[in-house]
Amino acid sequence: MARKSSGSASSPRLPPLQPAVNHAADFAAADTPSLSTPFKLDEGYSDETKTQVEKKDLAIPASDEWMTLQEWVLTHSEAERAELAYNLLRTMRASTVASVIERLAPRLHMDPVLKLPPEITSEIFSYLDPQTLLMASLASRAWRNRISDSRLWKDLYINEGWRVDMDAVRTFEQEHSGLSSPQLRKSRSRHTDPDSGEPKQKKRVPPSWLKSRTTGSLGRKTRPENGQRHAAQEADSEGDLPMGDASTERRTLFSPEEQTTSPSKRRESYSGSTQLKLGGNGLSAATRRPNSSLLIRMPNGAAKVNWLHLYRLRRKLEENWAKGRFTNFQLPHPAHMEEAHQECVYAIQFTGKWLVSGSRDKTLRVWDLDTKRLWHPPLLGHTKSVLCLQFDPRPSEDIIISGSSDKSVIIWRFSTGEKLHEIAAAHDDSVLNLRFDERYIVTCSKDTLIKVWSRHQLSPADKDYPSMFFGTGVTYPSYIIDTAEMPSPMLEAELANGHIRSLAPFSLLMTIDGHTAAVNAIQLNEDEIVSASGDRLIKVWNLRNGACKKTVIGHEKGIACVQVDNRRIISGSNDDTVRIFDHASGAEVACLHGHGNLVRTVQAGFGDPPGAEETLRLEALAVDNAFRDAQRSGANVDLGPRALRRAGYTQNTTGSRDPRDIKALGAKIPPGGGGSRWARIVSGSYDESIIIWKKCKEGRWVVGQRLRQEDAATSAAYVVSDPAARAATARSNAFAQQQHLQTPGAAATQGQQTPTAPAPASTSASQAPQAGGGGPLQTLQALTARLAGQPQQQPQPQPQPNPTPRAQPQQTQPQPPMNGIINPALHQPPHLPAQQQQQTHPRPRHHPRHDRDASVVPTSRVFKLQFDAHKIICSSQDPRIVGWDFVGDDEELREACRFFMCL
Amino acid sequence: MSATTLRFQSSDGVVITIDRDVAQRSVLIKNLLEDLGDTTEAIPIPNVNEAVLRKVIEWCEHHKGDPPSTGDDDDSRRKTTDIDEWDQKFMQVDQEMLFEIILAANYLDIKGLLDVGCKTVANMIKGKSPEEIRKTFNIQNDFTPEEEDQIRRENEWAEDR
Repeated sequence: MARKSSGSASSPRLPPLQPAVNHAADFAAADTPSLSTPFKLDEGYSDETKTQVEKKDLAIPASDEWMTLQEWVLTHSEAERAELAYNLLRTMRASTVASVIERLAPRLHMDPVLKLPPEITSEIFSYLDPQTLLMASLASRAWRNRISDSRLWKDLYINEGWRVDMDAVRTFEQEHSGLSSPQLRKSRSRHTDPDSGEPKQKKRVPPSWLKSRTTGSLGRKTRPENGQRHAAQEADSEGDLPMGDASTERRTLFSPEEQTTSPSKRRESYSGSTQLKLGGNGLSAATRRPNSSLLIRMPNGAAKVNWLHLYRLRRKLEENWAKGRFTNFQLPHPAHMEEAHQECVYAIQFTGKWLVSGSRDKTLRVWDLDTKRLWHPPLLGHTKSVLCLQFDPRPSEDIIISGSSDKSVIIWRFSTGEKLHEIAAAHDDSVLNLRFDERYIVTCSKDTLIKVWSRHQLSPADKDYPSMFFGTGVTYPSYIIDTAEMPSPMLEAELANGHIRSLAPFSLLMTIDGHTAAVNAIQLNEDEIVSASGDRLIKVWNLRNGACKKTVIGHEKGIACVQVDNRRIISGSNDDTVRIFDHASGAEVACLHGHGNLVRTVQAGFGDPPGAEETLRLEALAVDNAFRDAQRSGANVDLGPRALRRAGYTQNTTGSRDPRDIKALGAKIPPGGGGSRWARIVSGSYDESIIIWKKCKEGRWVVGQRLRQEDAATSAAYVVSDPAARAATARSNAFAQQQHLQTPGAAATQGQQTPTAPAPASTSASQAPQAGGGGPLQTLQALTARLAGQPQQQPQPQPQPNPTPRAQPQQTQPQPPMNGIINPALHQPPHLPAQQQQQTHPRPRHHPRHDRDASVVPTSRVFKLQFDAHKIICSSQDPRIVGWDFVGDDEELREACRFFMCL
Repeated sequence: MSATTLRFQSSDGVVITIDRDVAQRSVLIKNLLEDLGDTTEAIPIPNVNEAVLRKVIEWCEHHKGDPPSTGDDDDSRRKTTDIDEWDQKFMQVDQEMLFEIILAANYLDIKGLLDVGCKTVANMIKGKSPEEIRKTFNIQNDFTPEEEDQIRRENEWAEDR
């Protein structure tokens, strides 16, 4: 565009510019009083005249000079006008020019929210973190509107690595979106219908279901789920039913725990059954209408969850975890102490509103977490302590499986408490742990073996039929055939003529003999079994054929518990540590010191955000490269911990990325194990404490909170306010005191014997006396974890279905150490090296009085814990099961918790 | 064989000739060509003026060797606002141009350019106080001081722990 100079001739008619200013304020600065007077302007103009060589273009019509200058200017091209403006400005003093520029500055800045459509601003905002966004939302109303976009916060929520129950979200949205009937929806969709919950819930919760769950399922034989399933199928097959109905039915079918997630249903289910479970607390939240900020009403009447609100509440919840803000509760309800186990509780699991516990009192108990009350009478069947259990309350499964020191495994119907099947003598010794999925049950035992059992009838033609691995470590019962050896037509023929039969449910499929000590814990992860043993090893097995896939080494003493996800293995050990291993390479990526005794139970939630795999791999690679760089540059990074310590450096094993702290290269996850900043590990120990580990800003694991079972029990008992409950509270407190009073005495008389807790992890010490042990076997025996706490010679009180409250304190008294159940391996001698070690590199020891001090007999060793998005529940030596609920008394948060899933 | 160059007409009527492979960085044009087959006529781009179109072409030419966008699946990856050096320089334009480039990239469906544009704006927001953001984008504050106070209080939960 080269036609520059033609416009510069506008200069001669300055006076008309002034009126023109009124029409285009941004055209010139002349109306600002502080600016140039006409005189000065003239002066400036006169300066410039000599540059105006071409005056020939003066085409201004003489008649209406006033208005036409602007018009005239506008007839010129932008470039020409620019030149004119430039020349005009050049006539002015610098301060004038500066003020013009200042006035024009806003023209160079424009609001993207006004200029760009929402889909693009939301793309821009998606690059920003929550703090920045909230800051930006203060810019203007328009910004605040755009930033409040629910979808934006949904992505932010998910990218934090927080999980959400999308089924619950969808159900909730459907429940509150208009009404099922199209006509009604039309007329009501524009306003919030205060009653919208009522007619729907009647439709959605079939009476059979409510009845089955509320009017005493005790002794009932018929399964409510059949009718339920039928209803669901109907709903599915009828295409014109609103989605809400279909999916609500489906939810009901697959997750009875949804009762906790749907207040309207819960309300109804209780209203019909007030006679059954009284004294429930926390129901007030359920009967309230949903908080308005939880929902966004769409113009068409549809309700959507407000993700900004959910995000904010989840932040609040995580904050409560970090700050240790919680309320305590206990099972049983303090007003119903008669429902408590009579002895210590070795195993618990909870799902939704249900918790199942297994105790040394030989019983299993099913609890309703809403009411904190017992659901069935205790489940009787085992003849010794119940050590492990798993359950699945979904009607399609409806099962509890338990293992005991009576060596048996019992399969129960969850909904009725009925004993369905018993695998007697499943092992040659106590069944220490078990896991099941839809296909198999896997058990492990003090007899050092792992066994895999079928859950259903299994034909060799079935894909779940085991394949055979011809290597060491695994054996198959003689009735298992090698299907690889047999062409499938032949197999089918053999099946058809009955020469080969299908296996009955609960048939043994294989026995894995690969550990040299008790197998204390197992986990299933898709087609893998992960086992942890007193032989200090973690092993990973192929679930299909029993072949050992890898062995993970790291712990210095026996391992008591293990947990896996696809990327890591987390374990707790008698060496008092929690360790994190890279699942892929087996490399140890963190070792957490904090407990003062055996770590008996651990659960981790890393909160991997979407796409974490790649991030983790790259981070791990960067760490490896930094190590190699350091190595090349001559730094002493590869000396090993001891040499480093001599050189004055103590390795940080909690996730530091300093090359000197790296234990192994080639891991697929970075030191510490990766995960989001909200990642959490909760470990429970024989030191009677629970540690909530969290990540510090540098990404290392630190002790976030230290909780004590004892404190929780006290505080849970005190929250009760009605008189009956207070009396019970007094009883339970007296009970707790009694424990304290009695146990030292017991210890004194028993000498330095160990209490009755099971001690799953073995130690390396050769001191574990085994009757008749000798020779090389003795070493093995010594390695073997002792499951103490089975007072097999000890007459136990008969299990009482309805123990009376008054008898409780005596009955629930945990037994003092018993003869014959000593586990010295766990205690004195092996710990001496550990203590020396502690002196050389100090660890946080907040509760020294519980550190292996044999003179104080522990009363609340933690045996098992589980946490979900908002609570930890733990079982211990104390017959009471206690919990920490990080919702506190925040009703808004409690309401949102139905959508929150664990990390 | 299809022609190696294509002609486009900007919203202000200027016809620009572009290499075919450069033009095909735009998914809109790529799809258009698939539907249209070969054409010698100038393809009108009604939403983009010449200046912006030239900018967009400049970007496409520089990035013609880039692997094609993999679609939406990389959305799952953690988003960074890192911008490579050339793109940073390329985006050093006035805001009007910047927003017009973004709009054009959106319209022409050039994901890479749209991303760079959005990141550039995101970076202009990062680390700024509300007042600074208002200044950056010439935004009128339409909150009353009381409202502003209340929102600040509501937002306190997000402060870093």
